[in-house]
Amino acid sequence: MSDATYSLDQLEKGIGRDGIEGLVVDAARWRETAAMVQRSGFVRFLDITCVDHPNDAQRFEVVLHVYSPQGKKWLRLRTRTQGQLASLTPVFAAANWYEREVFDLFGVRFDGHPDLTRILLPDDFPSHPLRRDHPLGGEPVDFTILREEA
Amino acid sequence: MQGTRERTADGRETMRINMGPQHPSTHGVLRLELEIDGEIVVSCRPIIGYLHTGIEKTMEARNWFHAITMTDRMDYLNPMGNNLAYALAVEKLFDCRIPERAVVARVLLAELTRINSHLVWVGTNAMDIGALSVFLYTFRERETLLDLFEEASGARMMTSFIRPGGLAMDFPDGWMQRCKQVVDGLPARIDEYEGLLTHNPLFKERMIGIGKLAADDAMALGVSGPLLRASGVPQDLRKLHPYCGYETYDFRVCTATAGDCYARYQVRIAELRESVKLCQQALARMPGGPVRTDDRKVMPPLRAEFQHSMEALIHHFKHYTEGLRPPAGEAYAPVESPRGELGFYVRSDGTGKPVRIHSRAPSFANLQALPLMAKGMLIADLVAIISTVDPVLGEVDR
Repeated sequence: MSDATYSLDQLEKGIGRDGIEGLVVDAARWRETAAMVQRSGFVRFLDITCVDHPNDAQRFEVVLHVYSPQGKKWLRLRTRTQGQLASLTPVFAAANWYEREVFDLFGVRFDGHPDLTRILLPDDFPSHPLRRDHPLGGEPVDFTILREEA
Repeated sequence: MQGTRERTADGRETMRINMGPQHPSTHGVLRLELEIDGEIVVSCRPIIGYLHTGIEKTMEARNWFHAITMTDRMDYLNPMGNNLAYALAVEKLFDCRIPERAVVARVLLAELTRINSHLVWVGTNAMDIGALSVFLYTFRERETLLDLFEEASGARMMTSFIRPGGLAMDFPDGWMQRCKQVVDGLPARIDEYEGLLTHNPLFKERMIGIGKLAADDAMALGVSGPLLRASGVPQDLRKLHPYCGYETYDFRVCTATAGDCYARYQVRIAELRESVKLCQQALARMPGGPVRTDDRKVMPPLRAEFQHSMEALIHHFKHYTEGLRPPAGEAYAPVESPRGELGFYVRSDGTGKPVRIHSRAPSFANLQALPLMAKGMLIADLVAIISTVDPVLGEVDR
């Protein structure tokens, strides 16, 4: 954990090929940096999503897109986590469903989220299917008969 | 869930009931868990996911080219718009240039689908609140648009026509004239719908003052598109961040101030007229030339070139065995879909397989605002509110 704070002077393009600048943030500073970005005019929440890197220790890369109506530009925040991250719902109300989606499909838990339940899949779904090590077609179906069992 | 009775803090009795997921007014399979006090909605919790088909997972398992066909199926009322957003995202990864004819054609097709989508909305919205006949009129015109799509792409709805690098192919002979005929006929048709609805006292009774959404709340909840513009925020990506040369077209951003269901109706009707203007401008300025980029890394060559070019054959072979191989990196490409800001976030590692394709679906964010709009309304009004949010559950659930 670093105690670095982040500012908009450190914006960089990183691996983005679309001209959108961003910050790579330490997970411990996630919510506070989002709040700083919001105070700087990026008030419009667009999207939170996740990219899974199953071979890394910090396997989940969470990517946030926000927009500044005054500055007319987008901004991208990015962090890495093992599966636990502060929820942005206190900062951006709109993050609610998006974080539920990331929780549902990737299994990242957002601390402080008011209602962290599955959103797209049934509540009793056994896994998080957008993880890259989740097999395609791996879902058992009631009428599946396996050769070994038969 | 069975209807259950509960007592609120102030002693009144409320009831919890389900609306949907098979309710016809929920536009697909949206389920609402309602807490009602008599006919009044005390709280409303949308439950989504009934149409979840793992589109993003499927895209990651296929290659960049296959993913185009999945984009149609997200927002099935706006297939060309989804194709366009995805194509723009992949083109940002490649950083390639698109022939001028394809750029203009993209505007034309995107606006035709916007008309198509808004026509469905006008018809189904009127039907939801009891005016059944409007649906027949709007679907009559929609049919002519679908015929145009079919003629151009071979498919009425799942077009997969706009592809990274341009279009799948050029328009067939005479298509532009037929398109012009259809488009030129539309303003009179829109007058007809307005004649049925705009000053209809019953329609106004059901729409005015219903489901108000304040601009601040809408912004905070990530709402976009006609829903946001009806609350007085002139946010339209075609003006703010023009793509495909929208800055060179003459059109206005349609807004209304009331933020109620009727304002959303006004905005969508006005947008229909603006889209007609945009289509006419695009048709008038349509340049000649190719519709597919000659960057062979992005688009395979046409079959005719095989006769005299060995390279063309190699490119064709590489394209169909390995698929597209965008350079490693990420890109976010937003477009203004009929429902709001539709963005594709794509991530490539330089191999032929996408690492991540995520769609920022406007309906998903817009639905988040539904509980706020529904609070304190009658159940019958809730039907009108859902309808004016215009969710397409295909892109909500993906």
